[in-house]
Amino acid sequence: MSDEYIVLKEISKKFAGGVVALDKVTISIRTGEVLALLGENGAGKSTLVKILYGLYSADEGSIYINGRRVDISNPSEAIRHGIVMVSQHPQLIDALSVAENLALGLRTFSVLTSIKRISNFILEKSREFGVRVDPWEKAWRLTYTQKQLVEMLRAMLLNARVILLDEALTYLPLEEKKKFYKFIKEFAEKGGSAVIITHKIPEALHVADRIAILRRGKLVGIIEGGRARIEDVRKMMFGESAVEITYERLPASQPRERSVIETQDLWVTGDFGEDAVRGVNLRVREGEVVGIAGIVGNGQRELTQALIGLRKVSRGRIFIGEIDVTNRGVHVVREMGVGYIPDSPLAFGISIDNSMAENIAALYQRKSMLIDWSKIREMASSLIEAYKIMIPDANSLIKVLSGGNIMKAVVSKEINYCKIALIAHNPTRALDEVSAAMVRKSIKERAINDGVAVLMVSEDLDEIYQVSDSIYVMNSGKLYGPFPPDEAERSKVEHLMVI
Amino acid sequence: MRFIVVRRTRSHPYIRPLVIVLSLLTGMMLVAILLTLIGAHPLATIVAIAYSFITPQVVKDMVLLTMLGCALLISFKGALWNVGAEGQLYTAIIPIVWITLYVAPWSASSPPYQSILVTLASITAAAIFGAMWGAIAGVLRAYVGIDEVPVTLIMNYIAYYLVNLLILGPFRGRYVYGYIRTDDLPDAYKLNINVVMQRTGNAFIDGFLEFIRVIVYYAYWVLAAILVALLTWIVFNHTSIGLKIKILGSNPEFLKAVGVDVRRTIVMALTLSGLLVGIASATYYLGDLTRLTYPIQAQTAGYGYLAILVAWLSMLELQLIPISAYIVSSLRNAGRNMQIFGLGGLESTLILLGSILLTYSTLRFLTEYEVRVVK
Amino acid sequence: MSLEHYIVNSIIELAPVFATFYLVALGHSLFEKAGLLDLAIDGVFFMSSSIAVGVAVASGSPVIGTIVAAISAMLLGAALAFLMTSLPISHGAIGLSMMFLGYGIGIIVGYPARLEVGSIAMYAYGESEAMAIMAVSIAIGVFVHIILKYTKLGAAIRACGENPHAAASLGVNVLLIRLIAGAAGFAIMGAGSSFFTLAWQKFWDPKSYTLGYGWLAFTAALTSGRHPIVLMPISLVFGGLIFYRVKIGVMYGVEKDVANLVPFIAALAAMLIFYSTKLKKALAPPASLGKIYYREERTI
Repeated sequence: MSDEYIVLKEISKKFAGGVVALDKVTISIRTGEVLALLGENGAGKSTLVKILYGLYSADEGSIYINGRRVDISNPSEAIRHGIVMVSQHPQLIDALSVAENLALGLRTFSVLTSIKRISNFILEKSREFGVRVDPWEKAWRLTYTQKQLVEMLRAMLLNARVILLDEALTYLPLEEKKKFYKFIKEFAEKGGSAVIITHKIPEALHVADRIAILRRGKLVGIIEGGRARIEDVRKMMFGESAVEITYERLPASQPRERSVIETQDLWVTGDFGEDAVRGVNLRVREGEVVGIAGIVGNGQRELTQALIGLRKVSRGRIFIGEIDVTNRGVHVVREMGVGYIPDSPLAFGISIDNSMAENIAALYQRKSMLIDWSKIREMASSLIEAYKIMIPDANSLIKVLSGGNIMKAVVSKEINYCKIALIAHNPTRALDEVSAAMVRKSIKERAINDGVAVLMVSEDLDEIYQVSDSIYVMNSGKLYGPFPPDEAERSKVEHLMVI
Repeated sequence: MRFIVVRRTRSHPYIRPLVIVLSLLTGMMLVAILLTLIGAHPLATIVAIAYSFITPQVVKDMVLLTMLGCALLISFKGALWNVGAEGQLYTAIIPIVWITLYVAPWSASSPPYQSILVTLASITAAAIFGAMWGAIAGVLRAYVGIDEVPVTLIMNYIAYYLVNLLILGPFRGRYVYGYIRTDDLPDAYKLNINVVMQRTGNAFIDGFLEFIRVIVYYAYWVLAAILVALLTWIVFNHTSIGLKIKILGSNPEFLKAVGVDVRRTIVMALTLSGLLVGIASATYYLGDLTRLTYPIQAQTAGYGYLAILVAWLSMLELQLIPISAYIVSSLRNAGRNMQIFGLGGLESTLILLGSILLTYSTLRFLTEYEVRVVK
Repeated sequence: MSLEHYIVNSIIELAPVFATFYLVALGHSLFEKAGLLDLAIDGVFFMSSSIAVGVAVASGSPVIGTIVAAISAMLLGAALAFLMTSLPISHGAIGLSMMFLGYGIGIIVGYPARLEVGSIAMYAYGESEAMAIMAVSIAIGVFVHIILKYTKLGAAIRACGENPHAAASLGVNVLLIRLIAGAAGFAIMGAGSSFFTLAWQKFWDPKSYTLGYGWLAFTAALTSGRHPIVLMPISLVFGGLIFYRVKIGVMYGVEKDVANLVPFIAALAAMLIFYSTKLKKALAPPASLGKIYYREERTI
């Protein structure tokens, strides 16, 4: 029987806007175990782990390590207690080298130690752990997988006793993911503990000793890993509304012949000079929903940004409504009635310091000299009602809304705006299953009823299968497909995502 | 026990006026401490400051700073820190001097309507020149990417020296002896209304009458201030460019994503800001300054810099600009009254301004965040 | 005069000018490398140069003047670094407020000294010390460069400037590192400012707060990418433009105010060149410079 190494007692946390993230959650982490934290979006899993790592502060509750109460106010202190977190976004500083990044947390070296000496130390240690890393390489040159590898190496160098993985492995290719899971299991066998946050139930069942499920900030239950079944876990995660969630395919649309979105041999450069999109040929017809599946970081973001005009194209052409819009700017594309749901909604999708009305006016009345506020307020009201956005009124600032409602505000305005095409990248991010299902339905309806050509990029393969008339896979900047969803073998598609 | 800073989950109804009052109090305390260190009497200092809030001298600065505050609001709301109001102010005066002294000098035989024409022409020209000076910074920021703060600041110095050259050269006063400065503005072009008040002997009534006299004296300024404030209100509440500027200040990426030309918006914001500074500058010259003395950087009252404090103190809200202008003008007044070295209150004004801006900039976070004690 | 003599003479003449500009720009760069925007530079420049005068006159020694100027600036730098890192406040606003305060404090510290003695030439550094000052400045610059580029401390400072949140996640005590960079940076600025009045001008005037030399140092730091070594030739150029402006004026028969314009127009031109060429990428400012350091707790 393993000891309880860390105990989180009655942890509560509320965010701005009144959102309850955690409600008196009590949970323990045992020595030598792998604990999985499951729950839908907004259940509180990430918040809990961030409190343990000192990134957030709990409103109520306490943390005990080995029976002693501790106060963790920043990551440095967490590291001192042997707790290291790896998140899905590598926390490496791009402008610094790998060694410089790792050196920052190594207490054994004094401040005036030369980087050269530390680099040699890292080289030695990485060989010991069987990991191939170049300490002199600048962080911005590494691939996503390499960065996550460096993060794991960092945990080892910091003598971690507890490793927190906040969706850290979710976006890794399957082969790499397996290696990491093996590594975690070995780590646990040697006496360490691991907390894994994932939303992939099968993976959790596979690797965890215990599974804890959170729903709406409350701990719903803890199951032993060996005895859990997918259906039981699903029910605990979603509660009653599990009935409404369906991953069944929505009725297919009847695409017409005319091409609305078309690219010819498209090449787009990424932020670091690499070729993020390589020779993509794509065609979305009137009324068609084209889904692009793929793991994050394979060029999808650069592709969607190039299509809307936010990013320059280095080679090839883009046609919208049969007009060449290559490198002509966002305004040309928007002019034609193209909606855009970006992957970073807080950056390109909405302005949180402004009101719902102002955000709508920015898009819909950007060409007029004076703004017709009554028309805008009408539109805002109808959108708020249709999408059940929990907002006091159209003049409330977006920043008081919870994450899911902010997303709804982004999505509703764009789905309503589009006339001929919609470019959607992860349109159901941060939405609960019920809202996500509703958004997918809305998108599909616009395609079927109004002939909008929809290009949907999503990291959720289930979502792609549910909505698309035609599936492509994006891998390393190249597009594979099209695959008709009712015929294409799922495993083949998944395989293309990870080769 | 430690302190942590967290965002407020609900906003406190009176937090904004509370923060302003707190900033004023702590700022004044800071000043009192600094001045005590060099021998001034702290109580006398505080009394002098308090008294300055209610003298009629406050009126003039308040009206002018209201105009300038609105002008800066236009760019500040877009997160464009136009610290170049000084340069824009003096650049805008250049065409006025030219028009009023050389293009259409007043003489005994000038037709009566000439003064109106000249006044209008001056204000228009000032607005254009101010807009131009602002536009340069806007273009450099929008199309080259240079931060507007160092640019506008350096352009202040460039403006000073350019004006100096003009004072020494083509604008050199012909009817002046002893000083190097421009000729006086002809009385016909001055924007003042002079009334003489009878002294009643009663201190309160006389004080009140003095207030009235000053307000009437600057009546044109009050009109202009109302106009400028109205214009600003219309821009931000009814025009597309106003909304774009607001979003530029909160999330320029979103502005890009909806297809707005962000660069053009930046240039417009700084140009409009300079334009309004120009209008304020015209009223200032025609109603008070009436001449430029060499070297200008040593003679300036620094309204361009005072306006920065006004705009900041107002939390970028138009309704608070007049209040903020009142506070800053009282402080400037206090600085003048608190002269330590006979330098015209220069050092006191600077210290007052700096202290209040410092405490305010520090305490401002309390409007959106709160401090919690964690055991 | 032979060419060598001319060059040697120029260097001796320029030594205090160089030391002033270089150290002020260097200290400013160190402060900003940690991610802290420094808009107080002109105020700190005037304040420290005035404190140096006041203390030098009171104590009779310019060295004590420099030391006190450096220490007072150091305390200020640490205080600013503390405020700007612990609280979610605007770096720009704090900086500009400090600028005004610096002007005011400078006047009340410097004026009594000036009233008392009139000329401060007696309390200033001598000619022979000018070369020593320049050598010390260069040594400080090289030292700062080595620390920044080759040590763990330097990596930590740069990390705070590039991405303080990631730095914190990696285990850096952001507050402590910024306190160090803030204190050290401002101390160097204070020392450099003292050389303005005590080694270069040997003169103090209350209205000299309108000179704007701090902003020229700001531009020098910006166009050299805040790099301690690249900053050396650039400081020399800016310093030379200012120092020789009078000579240039006389040579070309040009008004004093035109000569005054030259360094500022040069500064504008320098920024233009910097931002429109590849220099911008190579000498880029720290990615998180001026950004409010507050760990935003969001659910999306």
